[in-house]
Amino acid sequence: MARVGVFVCFCGANIADFVDVPTVVEEAKKIREVKFAVDYKYMCSDPGQQMIRDAIVQYRLTSIVVAACSPRMHEKTFRKALSDAGMNPYLLEVANIREHSSWVHQKDKKAATDKAGDLVRMAVAKSIANEQLHEISVPVTKRALVIGGGIAGIQAALDIADARIPVTLVERSPSIGGRMAQLDETFPTLDCSQCILTPKMVDVASHPFIELIPYSEVIELDGYVGNYKAKIRKKASYVNFKSCTGCGACWQKCPVKVPNEYNMGIDTRKAIYTPFPQAVPNKPVIDAKHCTMLLKGKCGICAKFCEKGAIDFKMTDEVIEREIGAVVVATGYDLWDATPYEEYGVGRYKDIINSLEFERMVSANGPTGGLPVRPSDGKVPKTVVFIKCVGSRDKAKGIEFCSKICCMYTAKHAILLHHKVHDSRAYIFYMDIRAAGKGYEEFVNRAQVETGAVYLRGRVSKIYQKGEKLMVRGEDGQLGQEVEVEADLVVLATAIIPDKENPALARLLGISYDKYGYLSEAHPKLRPVETAKAGIFLAGCTQAPKDIPETVAQASACAAKVCGLFAGDTIKKDPMVSTVNKDFCSGCQNCVKVCPYQAIVTEDIPLGHGAKEMRTVAKINEGVCQGCGSCVAICRSMAINLAGFTDPQIINEIVAI
Amino acid sequence: MDYSKQIQDIAAKLFAEGKIDVFVGYRMNGFDDNQVPVVINDPKEVPALVFTEKSVFNLSNYLKADHTRNKRVGLVVKGCDSRSLNLLLTESQVKRDNLYIIGIACEGVVDEKGQKMQNCIECIVPDAVVYDEMLGSPRGKKDYIVNADIAGLAVKGLVERREYFEEIFDNCIRCNACRHSCPLCYCAKCCIDQETATIYNGSNTASSAFHALMTWSLHLAGRCVDCRNCEKACPSHLPRIFCINRTRR
Repeated sequence: MARVGVFVCFCGANIADFVDVPTVVEEAKKIREVKFAVDYKYMCSDPGQQMIRDAIVQYRLTSIVVAACSPRMHEKTFRKALSDAGMNPYLLEVANIREHSSWVHQKDKKAATDKAGDLVRMAVAKSIANEQLHEISVPVTKRALVIGGGIAGIQAALDIADARIPVTLVERSPSIGGRMAQLDETFPTLDCSQCILTPKMVDVASHPFIELIPYSEVIELDGYVGNYKAKIRKKASYVNFKSCTGCGACWQKCPVKVPNEYNMGIDTRKAIYTPFPQAVPNKPVIDAKHCTMLLKGKCGICAKFCEKGAIDFKMTDEVIEREIGAVVVATGYDLWDATPYEEYGVGRYKDIINSLEFERMVSANGPTGGLPVRPSDGKVPKTVVFIKCVGSRDKAKGIEFCSKICCMYTAKHAILLHHKVHDSRAYIFYMDIRAAGKGYEEFVNRAQVETGAVYLRGRVSKIYQKGEKLMVRGEDGQLGQEVEVEADLVVLATAIIPDKENPALARLLGISYDKYGYLSEAHPKLRPVETAKAGIFLAGCTQAPKDIPETVAQASACAAKVCGLFAGDTIKKDPMVSTVNKDFCSGCQNCVKVCPYQAIVTEDIPLGHGAKEMRTVAKINEGVCQGCGSCVAICRSMAINLAGFTDPQIINEIVAI
Repeated sequence: MDYSKQIQDIAAKLFAEGKIDVFVGYRMNGFDDNQVPVVINDPKEVPALVFTEKSVFNLSNYLKADHTRNKRVGLVVKGCDSRSLNLLLTESQVKRDNLYIIGIACEGVVDEKGQKMQNCIECIVPDAVVYDEMLGSPRGKKDYIVNADIAGLAVKGLVERREYFEEIFDNCIRCNACRHSCPLCYCAKCCIDQETATIYNGSNTASSAFHALMTWSLHLAGRCVDCRNCEKACPSHLPRIFCINRTRR
């Protein structure tokens, strides 16, 4: 016969103020199976847990009911108390009398007490049918997949690989490097972006534990933590990387000119190209959308000049499969399109550019050789207006959130402008200066003092053309008056938004994303790098706007999580999974259709003992099963049972009230 | 509506070409003018096959039996039979490749007294929906006719409805003939028979009959094709078809 112990918690005043706890204890004592019932101020505290441990031994209890807060809160704490006392931790049942009773029935103490009594009765009835369960061990494939080869992906891949864990790094474009490769110098120390990034890129290419797959995309991810199967589509590059030496003869001779994405379209590249000179791998690819040979079947000049015969116009996309244990998603960011700011004349005036375009211009390897110029006439600007928060913090036209990095890079742009054009002056329209970070405030001060940048607190209301100049009309909020600046060039610090393919990727991976398209972390404070799906982690701007130090820190955190996951040969998993009673299974496969985790497959079993004829039944992969119970509900023949929530347990609960 | 000759020809041809192992059809019962289903293995028995408006039973029911499992089967289906066959296909109980289906553009069948069955009067889709060969000229979709009893039940309150059902179930003898005759009751072991399912408790009490029949009707909710095989099989002549129809919508 079952011997149940009931432990009712006051939760300080949280429960005790609205539920008469001693009454609940008395009610519990009336149940035949309850051999011990007690209340305590804080059951989760160490003395509270000690009461449970002592009672288990003293009263030879066979199951435990704790009436306290939500099981999400302290179920693990109490399970641990049970196992410390030598009892199977899954013999615990939590009756949630806080969220389900005291907090929601604050106006009626009697009703709250009655309900708490009912909840305890149900938990006791259920616990009588509880069975001993044991954690499931799932084997782990020790290989990580990193999606995105920007600084976040590079850092995560290097850190994981340094722990001697193989990494597959998938990058969509022909080279790794991402947005950081486009930057000139980085705040707050003004060290050259390429100089600090390129060594890392080379490390990725040469690392024995990193498999770099450029110019490819993840198209499928099946499986579960520790045992994912990824399909990666390697786009046809039309260049055989094995024989290509990267000599450059092909792209010098190619006659097709295409806007250069790396330089934000300021200059052109060829149809066969490497994105930038420091590209890793430094092998060209053919842009199939623009190559005349691929489009019209005429040209083939690159093939004629290639001494190695590396060009292969017949190459097709290739699908690569990898078995992996964990995924790091680092897809980065994009710039928001500022077209809705019609009053600024975005798109109408050539001399309005965005900050990444400015960044490319002042970059030493940029299209203008490091000198900012006006796109309209190629003259060097003397007066440059920077407008911050274009799209950010703007509910009406843009996006509600703060893009976080614009304050800092605009200060950097002011300094860079001063370095390149000594007699220039920067005017910066801002809403607030957000410079929280090591050395950040000092950096903004430096921009203001050293370069004489004029910071004007206020929004710009209108930009219009006057001769060659752009007139920027705005407000100086500190003087409380309208100002008008005659500008040669206007730079918009447009909001940063997640990669536009994030929602599609999130669906493919089975993780969630927010209304902007940023991928969602499991907990905003305590689990910032994990997703709700075990074994998938987030790094960099794919989760929220971030600067480089933060991105690198998060990428390293991902690496630590992956290494932790791979530390043992197996992963432990809660035993609350479904099982199929094959004798009862009718093989209708409705469970296969409703399972949200694709955890159910079919198998053929003999029709009877020793029979040659087969019939099809369902089979649950306990590694994938998350214990949601959908299959249990749909199963007409009652062949599926969910451990911890079996039919006898649920029926006991129902009968108890 | 007499397709006996055509069906005999088709069955003989299928046997001759080796396309089927067994054929499921109707034959005369041998003592009056009513028919019974027949499963034939031997081409010699083909001349016994008949099909008239007396061919009432749903033959897709015989696909869940052992003597047709994993065999190549030829069978005759009316509109309602083809709908249940369709469900068996979608619920992975039979393989389409194993079947040769003779669909009938059904004009409705009659009961023992020669009166047209109620479900045939209300039938919306009299033509077979899945077939290899169609006999008769298709009649298309008909308008929906509301069953008067169901309409009456729909306006009743919860308590009245329960009383109504309890009165019907009072005559149930728990013989499970309805379950056996239903083509969509194919479970290896019915949930009602399971040891853990204590609320059905095997014995024939009003409560257990209520639970068992209600569970049955809920398991057929949205699936019942209104063939009324259960009604034909019931020895107590329970009009239990109502509860199923009720949950069908």
